[in-house]
Amino acid sequence: MDEDVLTTLKILIIGESGVGKSSLLLRFTDDTFDPELAATIGVDFKVKTISVDGNKAKLAIWDTAGQERFRTLTPSYYRGAQGVILVYDVTRRDTFLKLDNWLNELETYCTRNDIVNMLVGNKIDKENREVDRNEGLKFARKHSMLFIEASAKTCDGVQCAFEELVEKIIQTPGLWESENQNKGVKLSHREEGYGGGACGGYCSVL
Amino acid sequence: MATWERPSQQQPSGSRGSHRGGTRVLPTGRELAEANRFAYAALCSISLSQLFPEPEHSSFCTEFMMGLVKWLELSEAVLPTMTAFASGLGGEGADVFVQILLKDPILKNDPLVITQDLLTFSLKDGHYDARARVLVCHMTTLLQVSLEELDILEKTFLESLKETKEEESEMAEASWKKKENRRKWKRYLLIGLATVGGGTVIGVTGGLAAPLVAAGAAAIIGSAGAAALGSVAGIAVMTSLFGAAGAGLTGYKMKKRVGAIEEFTFLPLTEGRQLHITIAITGWLASGRYRTFSAPWAALARSHEQYCLVWEAKYLMELGNALETILSGLANKVAQEALKYTVFSGIVAALTWPASLLAVANVIDNPWGVCLHRSAEVGKHLAHILLSRQQGQRPVTLIGFSLGARVIYFCLQEMAQEKDCQGIIEDVVLLGAPVEGEAKHWETFRKVVSGRIINGYCRGDWLLSFVYRTSLVQLRVAGLQPVQLEDRRVENVDLSSVVSGHLDYAKKMDVILKSVGIRTKPGWDEKGLLLAPGSRPQEEPHQAAAPSSSLGETTHQDEQARGLTPEDTPKVPTCTNPSQTKVPTGLDQPEEASPPAAINPIENPRICSHSVDPNPLGCPDCASQTQGPCPGLD
Repeated sequence: MDEDVLTTLKILIIGESGVGKSSLLLRFTDDTFDPELAATIGVDFKVKTISVDGNKAKLAIWDTAGQERFRTLTPSYYRGAQGVILVYDVTRRDTFLKLDNWLNELETYCTRNDIVNMLVGNKIDKENREVDRNEGLKFARKHSMLFIEASAKTCDGVQCAFEELVEKIIQTPGLWESENQNKGVKLSHREEGYGGGACGGYCSVL
Repeated sequence: MATWERPSQQQPSGSRGSHRGGTRVLPTGRELAEANRFAYAALCSISLSQLFPEPEHSSFCTEFMMGLVKWLELSEAVLPTMTAFASGLGGEGADVFVQILLKDPILKNDPLVITQDLLTFSLKDGHYDARARVLVCHMTTLLQVSLEELDILEKTFLESLKETKEEESEMAEASWKKKENRRKWKRYLLIGLATVGGGTVIGVTGGLAAPLVAAGAAAIIGSAGAAALGSVAGIAVMTSLFGAAGAGLTGYKMKKRVGAIEEFTFLPLTEGRQLHITIAITGWLASGRYRTFSAPWAALARSHEQYCLVWEAKYLMELGNALETILSGLANKVAQEALKYTVFSGIVAALTWPASLLAVANVIDNPWGVCLHRSAEVGKHLAHILLSRQQGQRPVTLIGFSLGARVIYFCLQEMAQEKDCQGIIEDVVLLGAPVEGEAKHWETFRKVVSGRIINGYCRGDWLLSFVYRTSLVQLRVAGLQPVQLEDRRVENVDLSSVVSGHLDYAKKMDVILKSVGIRTKPGWDEKGLLLAPGSRPQEEPHQAAAPSSSLGETTHQDEQARGLTPEDTPKVPTCTNPSQTKVPTGLDQPEEASPPAAINPIENPRICSHSVDPNPLGCPDCASQTQGPCPGLD
């Protein structure tokens, strides 16, 4: 089974505490939903193989803890990540406003500059929406990110979010090929990432 | 619980000043913030996956991490993540975890907390696994704490356990009895084994427990240990760690054995006790200063509890005599010239051996053959003693030269065949080993040895190549060339610039030990170097060592001793990069053996012009040259 896996991708989920990062992951990997899910400690880890355009990719997904006290740990996961899912809660404007902080952190710790970012507005099943879809779309466009709104509870957009991200990563060959073939190239990439601190993401906006 | 006081007098000289004076109580790992406990556990997990990737160790790693998560009072929810780390994922973040830990307010003042906590955790079940110790050492290094501090911690731990109070003796006694019964049972099992195998009925004494008993087993068990580990655990820990059941046995004796071993005892080299032990194994017995088993190991300071194996003195003496005979038989210059050619061309073929040497060959061949056989038997016996945990549940380090290294080789081989062979042996050091050097034969050692496998070899060891001249199958002798096994454990150390011949392994043990990174007694090296040629009258090592132990001189000597090998030694200091152990072998391609290591013995010949000395390998004038930087290194 491992043989037909095209590549292993490291995906990182970040965002404020309580926006539903773990729920998104749980919905994606186990297709379950727990409204009482406890706060993540440190980091959670899951593996799932998905097939995009006939290519199988193994996803190693690191689900970080959003709580402030675990914030110090987050930098250790950025390294080597090919995709980042940035989550906010559409019913809590503060989680949307904090996105800039997360992008800053991403820029600071990310080791490569062609990493694919995706913005996910979670909890769209709830009625008390505070962040409009267009706002999210605008923010994502401004920062060259993919964008989708989802609900872990109703399963809306979850699968799509991950597939979209993986597709984009696979379309960016230098991103995942270097992982397997050109170790040297990868290293120099890292250096550049550190030096310039330029970590935008050059992908198109959905 | 799990806090202990560190008496001020035991503070290391170079430690951070903030806690100087009086006693200090180290906080436990549990007092760290949750995020940092997570980082600590994650770092352990990643380290384990890097240190022990072999499938044989996976159950240990998993259990260790499960225990540690519980110990640190982390939520069980982190277990899958820890398992992921332990399986080798997420290793890229290891240094970030280190940074996080070093920034912790508690650890910033005293990174020793982690070492201490991990040590306590490792010991809490009374089982100090060699792998746990390797991990503790690894973590200690990662957190930039010197290993000396770990040493002191281990000692402190021991001290706290030794402070005996009578109150719990009843429980201790019960615990002993239980243990003893089990031990007896094991002993019968071993004897039974021996009966099946047949062999001469000769008393074989063994048993590391005996010296412990002499030192007063009652003192080992203590309620102070309870202070460190909780009331119930303390006793069990000590009994288990030290195999204190030996109290009931006044010297462990085994009546029969498979094969024919005539002598097999452990001689304590030190009086102390420690949480890990070292067993040194001598390769032959010479006349004069090196006529005892313990003589070559005078400088060894790997642990406070060291033993040397006394085995088959009769045959080793014969061998030593033969070695000396063969060397004195080569007194004439012609033979030496011929020898020089033979040695440096690196061709191991019977044709090229000088006739004068072949004439005395029978002197050596017989005792050598006997000892080869015996050392294998002794190695197997040692394996069973270690497997039955006569030494207690503590890590063991084995160091041996020549046939002693062969004992170790066979010990490891025998252990590898058993199921519970993991986690007993910490490091092994084989010096000038007359054993198969093919990597595939060393492969199985990866599951037995937790720490390092050091192969110290000498390219110009003509004696070793000579005794192997007829056995074509063993052209790759470990004592003559590196073992090309790609593993983080294996360190090949080229001793060509230190050792000029096989007999030097005994005489220059102090320098050799330093070269391979084993701690030696301070102030000892100087004297060892001076006396290395072995032509001096006998002296008591301790008396001679005493005046030379001033600190400045010692460091200087240290540098000199290390300066002997820095460039030509393919030594890998605890490095995981296996490619560094790759060294072209001079024996296979004599023409192409171009690296400095191979050239060095030519440029810096041991067979010198001061041929007045009958011993071509130990001319004092030449030996003194080794104290300075080798000319060949420039």
